Amino acid sequence: MHSILSSRTSRPVISLLALGSLLLLSGCDLNFWKMTGHQTTMVTAGPVAKSQLDLFYVTCWVTLVIFILVGSVLAYATFKFKARSDADEHAEPPPQSHGNPLVEMSLIAASVLSLVIIAIPTLKGIWYTHDVPEAQAANAYNINATGYQWWFKFEYPAEKLDNGMLLSTGNELVIPAGRPVRIQIRTTDVIHSFWVPKLAGKVDMIPNRGNFLWLQADEGGYFWGQCAEYCGDSHAVMRFRVIALAPMEFAAWVANQKGPARGVVAATGATAGARPQLANFKKNEYGFTAKWAEDATVSPLQNWQDQQKAPASEDTVLIAEGKNLFWNKSCIGCHTVRGMTGRMAATGDAAIPAMGVAGPDLTHVGARTSIAAGLLENTPAQLARWIAHPDQVKPGNKMYVTGYQGMGIKISDPEAVAIAAFLSSLK
Amino acid sequence: MDATIKTHFTDKGSAASNRPSLLWRPSTSTKTGLMSWLTTVDHKRIGFLYGVFALFFFLVGGVEALLIRLQLAVPNNDVLTAQQYNTMFTMHGTTMIFLAVMPLSAAFFNYIMPLQIGARDVAFPRLNAFSLWTFVVGAIILNIGWFMKDGAPDGGWVGYSPLTSKQFNADHSIDMWVMGLQLLGVASIAASLNFIVTIINMRAPGMTMMRLPVFVWMTLVTAFLIVLSFPAITIALVEVMMDRLFGTNFFEVSHGGMPILWQHLFWVFGHPEVYILILPAMGIISEILPCFSRKPLYGYPIVVFSGACIGFLGFAVWSHHMFTTGMGKVATAAFSLATMCIAVPTGVKIFNWIGTLWAGHLKMRTPMMFALGFIWMFMIGGFSGVMHSAAPADAQQQDSYFVIAHFHYVLIGGSIFALLAGIHYWFPLMFGRMVNEFWGKVSFWVIFAGFNITFFPLHFVGLNGMPRRTFTYDSNLGWNAPNQIATIGAFILATGIGIYFTLMIYTYFKGQKVGRDHWDGRTLEWSIPNPPPEYNFKVIPQVHARDAFWYEKHHQAEIAAEKAASEKAESEHGGIHMPFSSIWPLMCSVGLLVGAIGVSVLNHDPREGFWGVKIATALVGGVILFFSAYMWALEGNEGYHLHPEEDDGHGHGAKQAHH
Repeated sequence: MHSILSSRTSRPVISLLALGSLLLLSGCDLNFWKMTGHQTTMVTAGPVAKSQLDLFYVTCWVTLVIFILVGSVLAYATFKFKARSDADEHAEPPPQSHGNPLVEMSLIAASVLSLVIIAIPTLKGIWYTHDVPEAQAANAYNINATGYQWWFKFEYPAEKLDNGMLLSTGNELVIPAGRPVRIQIRTTDVIHSFWVPKLAGKVDMIPNRGNFLWLQADEGGYFWGQCAEYCGDSHAVMRFRVIALAPMEFAAWVANQKGPARGVVAATGATAGARPQLANFKKNEYGFTAKWAEDATVSPLQNWQDQQKAPASEDTVLIAEGKNLFWNKSCIGCHTVRGMTGRMAATGDAAIPAMGVAGPDLTHVGARTSIAAGLLENTPAQLARWIAHPDQVKPGNKMYVTGYQGMGIKISDPEAVAIAAFLSSLK
Repeated sequence: MDATIKTHFTDKGSAASNRPSLLWRPSTSTKTGLMSWLTTVDHKRIGFLYGVFALFFFLVGGVEALLIRLQLAVPNNDVLTAQQYNTMFTMHGTTMIFLAVMPLSAAFFNYIMPLQIGARDVAFPRLNAFSLWTFVVGAIILNIGWFMKDGAPDGGWVGYSPLTSKQFNADHSIDMWVMGLQLLGVASIAASLNFIVTIINMRAPGMTMMRLPVFVWMTLVTAFLIVLSFPAITIALVEVMMDRLFGTNFFEVSHGGMPILWQHLFWVFGHPEVYILILPAMGIISEILPCFSRKPLYGYPIVVFSGACIGFLGFAVWSHHMFTTGMGKVATAAFSLATMCIAVPTGVKIFNWIGTLWAGHLKMRTPMMFALGFIWMFMIGGFSGVMHSAAPADAQQQDSYFVIAHFHYVLIGGSIFALLAGIHYWFPLMFGRMVNEFWGKVSFWVIFAGFNITFFPLHFVGLNGMPRRTFTYDSNLGWNAPNQIATIGAFILATGIGIYFTLMIYTYFKGQKVGRDHWDGRTLEWSIPNPPPEYNFKVIPQVHARDAFWYEKHHQAEIAAEKAASEKAESEHGGIHMPFSSIWPLMCSVGLLVGAIGVSVLNHDPREGFWGVKIATALVGGVILFFSAYMWALEGNEGYHLHPEEDDGHGHGAKQAHH
């Protein structure tokens, strides 16, 4: 019984196991080995990610060849020298040989050689991916990226606003395509990591340490990114997007962003439409709609472009109510909406601007494709859900903990719907 | 070296027996009952206890892993909350590394190493007991949070600053993590010093360094790695503790502290730790392959040398865990190349293992299956390791599931496979019973299949951009299928582990009894009866060659004459010296437990006025510790002598003479 691996008794067990696993797996989409997802490292869109992928393939091929060579010898030795019977096992022991220095030294030399094949492109890659190549340094576009628990702030040092601040966006970084982008990365709290796999490998955002990386999108596109260093409760949902635009398109986007928020004024006498109900989402229902699927017919970039346009019709009364609530529920304490002023019941008649900086700048939030750091699709329904019950969407988020709980802010479901309508109008 | 020289006991009727002991020390003549286990100083009992605790925590860590896989089975799942999930992966890593694999290796160091060098115990038996109990205390402190409001630690097993600071993690879970690891460090360093002294000083006559079994060599290298690397994490943990308790400024960002310092200190420990986990496994494999090939290990000197080389290089590559921290070109290049260098000695081991198989008579028993499985899985894990060494490529792999796949191939396919092989291999020696081959092979194949179904798809999902330590993921990123497969695989793996341990427990009670040297072994532990008598060797063996027992079996006449002569000599010196048991190592650990509860578990919020209780508890712990250490010193190192008459395998024939 205690014989070799192909014993009569263990074979059925193995077959059963294999069959069972196959049955269980048959429900899965087995195309995953192609690795063509939105956030893949295996389909690149710029020179940094490409050089990293090329190096990966070098390591992959070298190790695969060695694996096949060594594996074949191992497999051969296992089957060739296997004792096939009790008599075999009790035969006179084989020659008690102790090794052969020549064989061992040659194998060591061969291993060193194959490592050199990997080492040379590795060194090249380290130098290339470290910073923008000198020839293109002057052409590089600069961005500052800052990590917060749990969102990303992106600032444009080249784009000063009238108030002296830098143009800033939250969680969606728009860059010019076809030119190098040099990103200074910082954090205000714990360690985060900036990672857009299709464009470049990650670099960590570390407190009290200035880091940078460079990347370049060869063409316009919409790219998924995510924090890659464990940073507390909501690390898994600290996501972001990078949108690369052709130069003209990028210039137009910057011009719009630098402008004030889009004010929607309710015509006198306009009446409110039927107020939408707060949609009933399940706690774990985060998924994006079908237009963001991996195999959707419309490109993600097209989705983004569609998001820039104002809708044909808007409920101006609801928007005005939402704006009023945005001020009176103290949202302006943490969020900026440039070019707008409002009144708070608490401060009487004075018109005050929305200049909070603890949270993302919301001046053009309606034009973003995602909210809550890339977690939810930016629709009025998801916005209302996020505003009404942030604690149920994103564990430990500061809007809830320091805002709602810390300051005693309460927002009812209908109020959240109105605020969502207001924010959606900020294209 | 004659064992009788090691004792300063005099024989019959000497002063020692007339002088009353300053303190009472229990004798090992009581072999059953709780007290005999709590006071034991027998390396075999200590090794067994290490094994039992380690396997318990292996199951705990396994349950944590299954919960992680359940949560990730489908996108946007809510089996666990974010915080529960973060706690699970933190404790899964911490438990598997510090409470499962390390102590399981320690179990083999304790049990097998002295037998392989022909010694009757380790150099410092009471220190050995202290290591065991301090390990248990550390494990308690680490896990106590499960039963408290604060919960278990959730800072990741690497505990990156500043996430472990008071500002970002106010509750006590991190204090307990810090204190628990600190105690485990004490246990590991004490145990390692013991092993080093044992291996250097207690080898049987003729057991030169270059005749040591490779497992003993790897024990020695591992012990040095522990002694040299744990101080780094000890320092780092002290700094975190001071930041948290006394508001110091080591990692505190707002006062200019440097969180990056934690990473350097952690990985200066953490990378050698990787080899602390794998070298014992390589040692076990280097014992099993020759035994089941019926041939000596191929290229013994170079295997030993490459093991030591891995140990040295292990200290030179810590920053490859930090390729994404912006170290600059030169540092990145240096650590990249140093990391590639480690592939050479590792490759050498694999070549030599294959060389060992070559032209042998391979007996395909379960330990051999695990050993061969080890080589295959370790090759895959090693090759993905080489991929990480190319720093720019690693920038895409770091902190992704590709890394998860890599180190589980090394730690399960490597360490765990080898440890399971070792348990199966030495089971007949430890308990005198043989594990059923059929069910052994079934357990191997289920574990092998489950492991690969779980972890192979994770390579793909990692390269497809999925970061690690994420409690949820979206459904539109192409990550669904591999995660689902991995979860199914995890349950198959768990089934395999279940079969394995059910089989071991069954065998312990009901397995078929076997005589000594069940596998036709090559090393000295197989020369003694099973289960081994408390004194291990009736006669300290003379070693004439590597694979000492193989030599004995093939030179029986020469050895018999030699043994008779040594036995006579030893008997004239008073027989076999055995130490009394002692309760004080356990009491020292109890002191550490009480002190650690004071420092890390009790509330120190001044508003609640608990400083008094907190400090008092810490002080009481300190007093217990120092009192016990004092008593330990005072009780003296008395013992008794044994005169085994018959080698019947159970030590029953031994006549005791108390002194």
